[in-house]
Amino acid sequence: MRSAAATARGATRRVPPDLLRLAPALLVTTLLFGGALLGALKQSVEPPLGGGPSTWSLASWRAVFADPTFLDALWFSIRLAVISSLAAALIALVLATLLRSRGPALKTTFSLPVTVPHLIVAVLAVAWLAPGGIAERALGSLPIGVVHAQSGLGIVLVYVYKETPFLVLLLLSVMGRTLRRREEASAVLGASPSQVLRWVVWPAVRRPLAVGSMIVGAFVLGAFEVPLVLGPNYPPTLATYAYQATQTSPLSGQGKAAASLLVAAAAAIALGLAALALARTEDG
Amino acid sequence: MRSLVASIALAVVLAGCGTATSSAPSPTASNWSQVLAEAKGQTVNWWLYGGDAATNAFVEDYVAPAAAKLGVTVKRVPVSDTVDAVDRVVAERRAGETSGGAVDLIWINGENFVEGKEAGLWLRNWAQKLPNSRYVDWSSPIINRDFQVPVEGQESPWQGAAFIYGYDSAAVASPPRSFPALLAWAKAHPGRFTYPAPPDFTGAAFVRQVIQRLGGVAKGLRFLRELKPYQFEGGTQFPTSIDELDQLFANGQVDFDMSYNASFLNLGVKKGEFPPTVRPFLIGGALENTSYVTIPADAAHVAGAEVVANLLLDPRLQAKMADPAVLGTPSVLDPARLPAARAAALRGAASRSPYLLTDLGRPLGELPATRDVPIEEAWKREVLR
Amino acid sequence: MVERRLPRTVGTVAVLLFAAPLAVLVVQAFAEVWRYPALLPQRWGLRGFEVAFEGDQALQATLDSFEVALISTAAAILLAWPAARALARGPARLRTAAIVFLALPLLVPPLATGTGLAEWFIRLGLADTRVGVALAHLTVVLPYVLLVLIPGFNPRLRELEEMAASLGMGPVRRLVSVTLPGIRAVLAAAALLGFLVSWSQYGSSLAVGGGLPMLPLTLLPFVGSDPNVAAALSLLFLAPAVLALLLASRAAREAL
Repeated sequence: MRSAAATARGATRRVPPDLLRLAPALLVTTLLFGGALLGALKQSVEPPLGGGPSTWSLASWRAVFADPTFLDALWFSIRLAVISSLAAALIALVLATLLRSRGPALKTTFSLPVTVPHLIVAVLAVAWLAPGGIAERALGSLPIGVVHAQSGLGIVLVYVYKETPFLVLLLLSVMGRTLRRREEASAVLGASPSQVLRWVVWPAVRRPLAVGSMIVGAFVLGAFEVPLVLGPNYPPTLATYAYQATQTSPLSGQGKAAASLLVAAAAAIALGLAALALARTEDG
Repeated sequence: MRSLVASIALAVVLAGCGTATSSAPSPTASNWSQVLAEAKGQTVNWWLYGGDAATNAFVEDYVAPAAAKLGVTVKRVPVSDTVDAVDRVVAERRAGETSGGAVDLIWINGENFVEGKEAGLWLRNWAQKLPNSRYVDWSSPIINRDFQVPVEGQESPWQGAAFIYGYDSAAVASPPRSFPALLAWAKAHPGRFTYPAPPDFTGAAFVRQVIQRLGGVAKGLRFLRELKPYQFEGGTQFPTSIDELDQLFANGQVDFDMSYNASFLNLGVKKGEFPPTVRPFLIGGALENTSYVTIPADAAHVAGAEVVANLLLDPRLQAKMADPAVLGTPSVLDPARLPAARAAALRGAASRSPYLLTDLGRPLGELPATRDVPIEEAWKREVLR
Repeated sequence: MVERRLPRTVGTVAVLLFAAPLAVLVVQAFAEVWRYPALLPQRWGLRGFEVAFEGDQALQATLDSFEVALISTAAAILLAWPAARALARGPARLRTAAIVFLALPLLVPPLATGTGLAEWFIRLGLADTRVGVALAHLTVVLPYVLLVLIPGFNPRLRELEEMAASLGMGPVRRLVSVTLPGIRAVLAAAALLGFLVSWSQYGSSLAVGGGLPMLPLTLLPFVGSDPNVAAALSLLFLAPAVLALLLASRAAREAL
């Protein structure tokens, strides 16, 4: 509260450099997030406790990249991330268009899954989709294999279920009255519905959609609970690969686990930057 | 100048870490009454698997009140996997902490204990000094070795574990009692058997039992390859966890279940998961091992942890634990070392429930922990794919 | 007419599809025996809740989770407020760079950041306390709150603030009667999201918390092994989330 008041006061006298306003957030992020990454990086190169090499080395990184299971996990995770975020974005776009004129009650009901933690989504997925789950009881049998499907369909379905409402909320937040007025204005000026869509609606929603899908993609890249219960036996995702590494070797597997999680982090960041760049080139 | 001071300081810190790792920690008090006095008022953070309602209730209803009488508070820290507790101890070691750690006691065995022992994470040479340790047969290889690694007083037993199978007597008249019979049975009933994919703990134990019984990795894996097409879903998918196999069995989608918890059918019926018609059986002799508790070397409440570990070996608490109405898991006490009445109570516990086996056959010790990873890799390569 | 009704139906169906799966949690929480192939439980009862609340762990965990979520959300709003103000304008290039940097923690798997922080927190003596856990949660809560808050400081709000300033309104009055009402809906959404993100963290909670009872940590072991208890705990886990959502949507509606 105090800092907010202070900022407001500063605005009247002399606009302080924006960097000053950004500083606390930048500092905290650098310390916490940088510290966490550094910690993970340290784990991936430091000597394992007890036995093994006693100096810092890239042994874990070499071991991970020499492991065909890891490489399969990497591609599998990236594929899942891209498919899930594209599917969620597409469905969200359609739903947001349908829902934008509806009442708040409907919107609230619809945003329920946003509040559901991933952990509970995993609980729900098991209750519905597992062999002998509700879906199978109601339908006799599932038309397609979902649990442990080689394609990773189960994971994609769950993430689309969980993340679509999040994207819809993001989209609805920019599809408010201002946008509606601009649409009406362009229609009055003689723009066809498809032109309104392309020139007015799309530019407004493109950026939140890209940012949102990027977050969804990142979620899937780090996906752990859901693939653990619904994913195929092989390949694992990067996070379940890390989990399995410490499951069999609780201490000596830590370096490999950290390395594979850092690869997931790097892939997520790369994916995010790509999405952002894409959103921007279309701007020009 | 400043960098010189900094590097000296760093060297001192590093040296400090070094001595902490190499010096052998020992119990804080050799005399038990001293331990009891020191433990009074301590709160023991016991990290243990938290997904089993019956075990949680045993701790809350029997262990905690008994400890409270000695002035020790037991705080259960529920984890989904023992490795979570080990991770925390490792983080403390990496941070250079040598005392005041957040973990006082861990329910542990196998790989977690073995790697922690190699890294010097555990308090040494305390388990056999517990007064109630006199009821334990420390000469038994099932007690003094954990996955073939000598325990050396770094963990104290509290629960017996035996690898048993379950079937539904309403659906199956007589289950197969050897691996060749299991294969024949699977061929006659395709799709009605499966096991969790390693590295799931139970699935890995099943694979190890097959390998041991059939006399070698190559023979064991050949057997599993032959079994695969007759498994659930034609062997194209395995349950990823024992929970999933339990579910398939409860649903009647497969005919057999398996567990390292000798009381799993008993507990499953009690919580409504399995129908009351399920029964236990063995395939060959059961794999056996022991559940222990260990104390990290940097634990904040060593005395309190020792008091709780000692209580877990108390003949009355062990009898409660072996009681099918409470937990029904095998006791780790040696009946020959107990007064006759107590020994009879422990021996007779299993016979009070149709869900427990009184005779576990010729026990099969575990393979050395070092062989786990190669076996799992080989299984992935030759059976899964 | 048909054209108007079609999207309406599709929207309603979609809502049902998304909200209905949650209903199964309620059934499962009261289902003592629910075996295949029955569509409804064979035996109803309170076992799930009895086990869940054994030894007041769940209650303590709820209180701890609540406190941690409040602290980290409040801290995140205090940090994000000035940052969002700065990021709502200014040179585009710098703005994007800063947003990308501040949003990075969102992209990194929580499993990686949780264990990475534990060692430092132990070294600094921050581990094992609610404040320490709240700080660890701040790593991910801050970027969420910030991303939601940025669009709130739009040019329209700035114009209103400048207008109020030119009318001689003091900073406190301006904040109370211009800025806060203008940003209320966005602020509510940011606080809600921040709260929920902290509420459902578990990777860092365990590593940093050192056994501090937290709701997700109590729930996690039951997932899979005991669906009845897991569902009962899930309802407890979801209650504040749903409540917060309702409050936030009400606040948002009043602000419109």
